[in-house]
Amino acid sequence: MKNSEIEIVFQPYGSRSKYPSGTIIMVAAKTLGVDISSLCAGNGTCGKCKIRIQRGTEGISSPTEKELKHLSQKELKAGFRLACQTKLRSSATIFVPERSRVGKQRLQTEGLNVPVKPSPLVTKHYLEITPPTLHNVRSDEDGLLDTLRIKHGLDNLRVDYETAKTLPIKLRKAEWNVTAVVSEKRIIDIEHGDTSERCFGFAVDIGSTKLAGFLMNLNTGHVVAVAARMNPQISLGEDVLSRISHVMMHGLNALRELHEAVVSSINEMIAECCEKANVGTGEIYELNFVGNTAMQMLFLEIWPQYTALSPYPPVLRRGIDVEAAQLGLTSHPRANAHYVPVIGGFVGSDSVADLMAIDMLNSEEIVMDIDIGTNTEIAVGNKDSILIVSCASGPAFEGMEIKHGMRAATGAIERISVDPDSLETHYRTIEDAPPVGICGSGLVEAPAELLKAGIINMTGRFNKEMAKKTDRVRTTPEGWLEYVIASKEESATDSDITITQADIRELQKAKAAIRAGAEVLLRRMKLTKDDITTLYVAGAFGNYIDAESARTIGLYPELPLDHIKFVGNTAGTGSRMCLISKQMREYAERISENVRYYELAVDPDFQSEYIKASFLPHQDMSRQPFVTELLKRHGRVP
Amino acid sequence: MDDDKNTKVFEKLTQAVITGDCAMAEEGANDVLNKGIPPYDAVINGLAEGMKVVGEKYEKKEYFLPEMLLSADAMYAGLNILTPHIKSEDKQKGKVILGVVEGDIHDIGKNIVKTMLTVAGYEVIDLGKDVPVAEFIEKAKSEGAKVIAMSTLMTPTLMSMKAVEEKLKDERLKGKVKTIIGGSAVSETWRANIGSDAFGADAMEAVDKIKALVSSITAAAEALKQEEKKTTDEK
Repeated sequence: MKNSEIEIVFQPYGSRSKYPSGTIIMVAAKTLGVDISSLCAGNGTCGKCKIRIQRGTEGISSPTEKELKHLSQKELKAGFRLACQTKLRSSATIFVPERSRVGKQRLQTEGLNVPVKPSPLVTKHYLEITPPTLHNVRSDEDGLLDTLRIKHGLDNLRVDYETAKTLPIKLRKAEWNVTAVVSEKRIIDIEHGDTSERCFGFAVDIGSTKLAGFLMNLNTGHVVAVAARMNPQISLGEDVLSRISHVMMHGLNALRELHEAVVSSINEMIAECCEKANVGTGEIYELNFVGNTAMQMLFLEIWPQYTALSPYPPVLRRGIDVEAAQLGLTSHPRANAHYVPVIGGFVGSDSVADLMAIDMLNSEEIVMDIDIGTNTEIAVGNKDSILIVSCASGPAFEGMEIKHGMRAATGAIERISVDPDSLETHYRTIEDAPPVGICGSGLVEAPAELLKAGIINMTGRFNKEMAKKTDRVRTTPEGWLEYVIASKEESATDSDITITQADIRELQKAKAAIRAGAEVLLRRMKLTKDDITTLYVAGAFGNYIDAESARTIGLYPELPLDHIKFVGNTAGTGSRMCLISKQMREYAERISENVRYYELAVDPDFQSEYIKASFLPHQDMSRQPFVTELLKRHGRVP
Repeated sequence: MDDDKNTKVFEKLTQAVITGDCAMAEEGANDVLNKGIPPYDAVINGLAEGMKVVGEKYEKKEYFLPEMLLSADAMYAGLNILTPHIKSEDKQKGKVILGVVEGDIHDIGKNIVKTMLTVAGYEVIDLGKDVPVAEFIEKAKSEGAKVIAMSTLMTPTLMSMKAVEEKLKDERLKGKVKTIIGGSAVSETWRANIGSDAFGADAMEAVDKIKALVSSITAAAEALKQEEKKTTDEK
């Protein structure tokens, strides 16, 4: 008999349900709200969704190639599999180990708060209109426009066709007491009675991995509700380039699919915020979007192929306005959606937002801005001239490609210190929970601490001799060295949490790309690090990095610590600023026009700078006087 | 004993490269010239041997870019002294056409492969970056090279590798000219998909696979020659 229905139980939750035979474990988990961690959204590439099959091992699919890459023989024998790869053909009990559970995520939605005086594009005006009489016959339109001109000083407005259709009914039903919704000289709606207090907009930061949405009161410029989601496009490609490749290979339907995926998540955030703040989606009249150039194209359904090929030209550079309804967004039917301008193919409106938040275009002093992410953008200059580069730094600092890497969530190790004498370690986790893995800020601190303690040297190599001094330094089954940060007993997982030689190499690659970008940029602008008065560090995990550790590994040019400012995720800040202020939209256009893009890959010095910057902190120690001092104190350099 | 003396010098060069010691490499190279050891032997058994160890350490993650840089510096320090003394007929193991494919301009990885190939004794025709599809094939024809090595960092430009493979087929060169692909965006799956002859996961593996490709071509050519000889003999 063919068994078409199976029962899957998830432990330790005890949730269970029936599924068709052949269901993928991850899919089943989702339907029950069992959150299994995943960075690659089911691609089988991140290896974070390890689960153990406790019962029902007879009906499971054999391990895929991807699983074999992430699971050791020992794990396979113990019943461990990847939830996103494994199909079940018989009833089973699945245990979700602590390390694969999603804790409360620290999705950074808040960035620098820059006070901006609201001057929204949409305004609402309560009107008491005198109805027409036989002695004074005027059109409904004139009644509306006259009142707006005389009482509110608004000139040259026009009634939208869609508004006109029901205008006569609405005016009379409301006994001529209505609220006009004015968007850029257009009357986009007429509402019953006085609704002028209820004027909302929605600002979005479209990140390649995370989405953040802000419901805002356009009259006051205040945020009334916030929501965050993972970017669902991840399931069609982990990074922006693989998403573009997906479109190139599968054509327009794939482009539509990517567009619809992100729109539906944005609609979810809108619904969530509206519910929290008791606002109707029809009360959202304006939306604003910020994101990198690939996100712009995939969100607006623009063919992205040629931007991904040298010389990487963007399709649209200027800001663009689209009817929100045309994009499938849930809001007022005549709401406008604005996408903030970009600078280049790899420098998007998220960078424009960065520079806007730190007001770089008006800066007298020379400043540098580094926005750390999978692509790291670096800008340097002042009001006279600004140059920007994009570095392919990769996702190592986000925990990808790192054995025990994870996002900033409950149980993530965010602070690490290593005692140079005992070689023992102290760490702190998010919410002081038992450790599950290491997040970005920990991944900056670990190499800095290991370097100071002499466990790794300036080339990033583990010192074999240290294995004789402490059990914490040991050899992995792959044959490379690693340092144990938390033992199996302390950790919430069933394995030790370590940082391996391979991890250090990945981090070196990422930091070398960033540092080399900064060095080449300075040279190109004929500046030195000493010309920089303030170094702004932006990016999802920017706020949490320890400035000194980052300096110790040479992540950025060496500056006194009080010159370094962390500004967090400014993309969201910029999106909010552009939602509530016309002037800020104009400012964004000016940034896009005036900031010049420089292609690092064609710079003759980039390669040698990259290799020099792959040392910890740098091969050229004359650029690192502070770190030289620091390492001297620790007896690491003579 | 001559061999013993040579071995010692070779070992010095090997160690100099492994530890990235330029002074020691120069000293070793001068020893080679002073003692009348054939400089080509010193490159192959000394410097190249050192780079081989470096490559192995690189694969084991023990070495990384910084160590590669130091070792390459030491290697070039020795090479600069020895090269002017190498007889030209000693130089050639084979020609390799190398480049970053059309649409991509990221070439650090390609340059590492170039260094490794050069020291292993190959003549590398470096076409640089953003190399048009046709140029790979034209160069292979005009240079008489039997191996084309292509690299890319970015996924969208994977398609350019496919275009080269297709053009090779169109020109009926597939099999006569072998290809190898590499770079961050490339995988064994992609190699199988486009029908390339080899995939090098890193610089070291690329050099090993290119060696294998060259010897398979040489073997095939030998076999063909034998075959032809047999046919002529039969006639």
